[in-house]
Amino acid sequence: MIHESTRRWSRVAGFAALAVFAPLALAGCGSGGGGADGKTVSMAHYFSDALGAKAFKSITTLCTQQTGRTIKNSPIQHEAFKDSILVQLAGGNPPDVYSYWAGAKTQYLVDQKRMAPLDDFWAKNDLDKSIPQSLSKASAEYNGQKYLLPFDYHYVGVFYNPKVMAKAGVTTMPKTWDELMAAAAKLKAAGITPFALGSKNQWPAQFWFDYLLLRTAGPDYRQKLMAGQAKYTDPQVKTAFSMWKELFDKGYFNKSPNGIDWPDAADMVSKGQAAMTLNGTWVTGYWDDNKVPAVQGYDMFPFPEVTPGVPQAALGPVDGWALSTAAPNKAAADDLLKCLSGPEAQRDMALAQGALAPNKNADLTSQNEVMHKAAKEVQTASTFVFNYDLATPPEMSEPGLNMIQKFVDDPSKLDGDLQEAQSAADGAFKKN
Amino acid sequence: MSTRRIGWATVFLAVPLIAYVAAVVGPGLYSFYYSLTDWNAVGGTATFIGLKHYRDMAGDEHFWLALKNTAIWTAVAVVVPTVVGLALALGLAQVQRMQRLIKSLFFLPLALSLVVVGQVWFWIFRPEDGLLNLVLGHVGLGSWQHSWLSDPSVAFWSVLVAWCWQQVALAMVVFLAGLTGVQQELVEACKVDGANARQRLWHVIIPALRPAFAVVVSLSMINALKSFDIVYVMTEGGPFRKTETLALLVYRTAFKTYDFGYASAVSVVLFLITLVTIGLFFAWTNREDHQNA
Repeated sequence: MIHESTRRWSRVAGFAALAVFAPLALAGCGSGGGGADGKTVSMAHYFSDALGAKAFKSITTLCTQQTGRTIKNSPIQHEAFKDSILVQLAGGNPPDVYSYWAGAKTQYLVDQKRMAPLDDFWAKNDLDKSIPQSLSKASAEYNGQKYLLPFDYHYVGVFYNPKVMAKAGVTTMPKTWDELMAAAAKLKAAGITPFALGSKNQWPAQFWFDYLLLRTAGPDYRQKLMAGQAKYTDPQVKTAFSMWKELFDKGYFNKSPNGIDWPDAADMVSKGQAAMTLNGTWVTGYWDDNKVPAVQGYDMFPFPEVTPGVPQAALGPVDGWALSTAAPNKAAADDLLKCLSGPEAQRDMALAQGALAPNKNADLTSQNEVMHKAAKEVQTASTFVFNYDLATPPEMSEPGLNMIQKFVDDPSKLDGDLQEAQSAADGAFKKN
Repeated sequence: MSTRRIGWATVFLAVPLIAYVAAVVGPGLYSFYYSLTDWNAVGGTATFIGLKHYRDMAGDEHFWLALKNTAIWTAVAVVVPTVVGLALALGLAQVQRMQRLIKSLFFLPLALSLVVVGQVWFWIFRPEDGLLNLVLGHVGLGSWQHSWLSDPSVAFWSVLVAWCWQQVALAMVVFLAGLTGVQQELVEACKVDGANARQRLWHVIIPALRPAFAVVVSLSMINALKSFDIVYVMTEGGPFRKTETLALLVYRTAFKTYDFGYASAVSVVLFLITLVTIGLFFAWTNREDHQNA
């Protein structure tokens, strides 16, 4: 009887343990390191889609030729990369070189000593001459040292369908908030949804909050909020959200933004169901891939001025490369980074991805006019800042994006959402 | 058992035992240890903080919502696949023509991974051009149209429907296998004695299917308690964490906010809930078996 009972309970415990811990155990599996043979260097990154594959086909060949090393190229799906790189770093088996998002996410890994400083590499290759200081200061420097090599970047702007805008009588693109509102009213009256938004994955909604806060309270205040030195219950934050709420109240957005993704919103614009979408330059890569012609099929204007006198910051993410502190083969990794910092690799990346290149010697003349316009906006902007989920620490960006998605679902509950975000911020910044 | 036989048994058991300890018991113990620390995995250090995570959990609304969702999921998992799977199996057992083809059609969901199932239902539930809303519109039920996966009042139930669709197929397969073991002589004898269809089902067929019920219910419960993949594919726990289960909470806490210590504590709680739930179920089936012996 005792045997039977023991067997039964061990079976029960086995079932339960398998159900719960087996996935966690498997999470510990990961491969990395290029090996210490002196010739092989491993590179992991999140440019795994068709556009990324196209870029890395030529970049891997180029860097193999330039370095004389064997490059172990490991593309990992964008969302899966966020998890797998942590598992690899935690397991002490990271790739020699890995891509990462500049901003708070990089700051976190720098603080955890998982990225090696690149100051010597930077000086040796004279990168100050090829990478603009404004970009390197914003994306490469952490705790007074350089840790991330900028590889490509994107600009967030208002992308629109010129034919649809013209059909509604909008021929001059809005430069101020009032002009944008007037254009939206015309579009609405013509039966066209003014703004398409696909926030199923949360982050595409953040750009509205980012720009409205930047254009009303300014980049300095926003930086304070991102660092936990200002509150989500401040009038500045409420003003930004209230202006956004007005757009929802007037029916300027598509139905159920949280039910669709950003490519769906891009499709709405290219098919003429909606006129504009606030998104990054990666949307041009998507449209180009779908044979939507630049300028005729889509165009772009910067997010308009809202409060006169507030500096016109440009917004977007920067992708970069980090050298792992545990890289077994630093010399080979340095060679690879040198290639990735060069104008050819950055040109190939920018052309394939619909991105902009930090290396100012990269020849992007073959890019379309919309991309040239985006590049010009970044050059003339007073400052370049990262979007919300890269500007604030991960402990805060997660509940923050959640709050923004909640607001999109029901803007009438704004006050409660802001209170909730502040209590999340209290917890997140207390930890740091 | 002779000493020699015990020796050989030990040798043969050693391999799976080592694998089990390495893959399940070890990580389980590690999880419990890390649940008492502030480990963030990436930094490498883990400071002992006692039961803080467990105290925090008591005041964490996301934990309680995930627990509630997991409990509802488990309750639905016990009832829906069991009842619908049994009904389908009993119906299919009566089919005489093209039985293999019809069975294959009902088996089909089982051949798909949950990720594929999630993606298929994601398309069905899309707000603007999803199959469900299109059908509702065509049959004059436009007012029933919803944004099925982004409306917080229905999103959880939508995911559950997709999950049940596959789980029903699993239950049906098990019940169909169980029905082949029901003695037809006994059923015929009841018929001769004047028992109607309902009485034959209730007093002969269902008791004979007891082992199949145990398998279906225990598998459904385990699958429900660890439900992760289909939720991740369809909603990622959204909109704003309304469809989050405990397994997804573990993932989000660990990999999105890097709080591996807290995630370990939630996984320990999930383990205990699973242990108690399945333990109670096995104790109940065991007692029933003894009573019927």
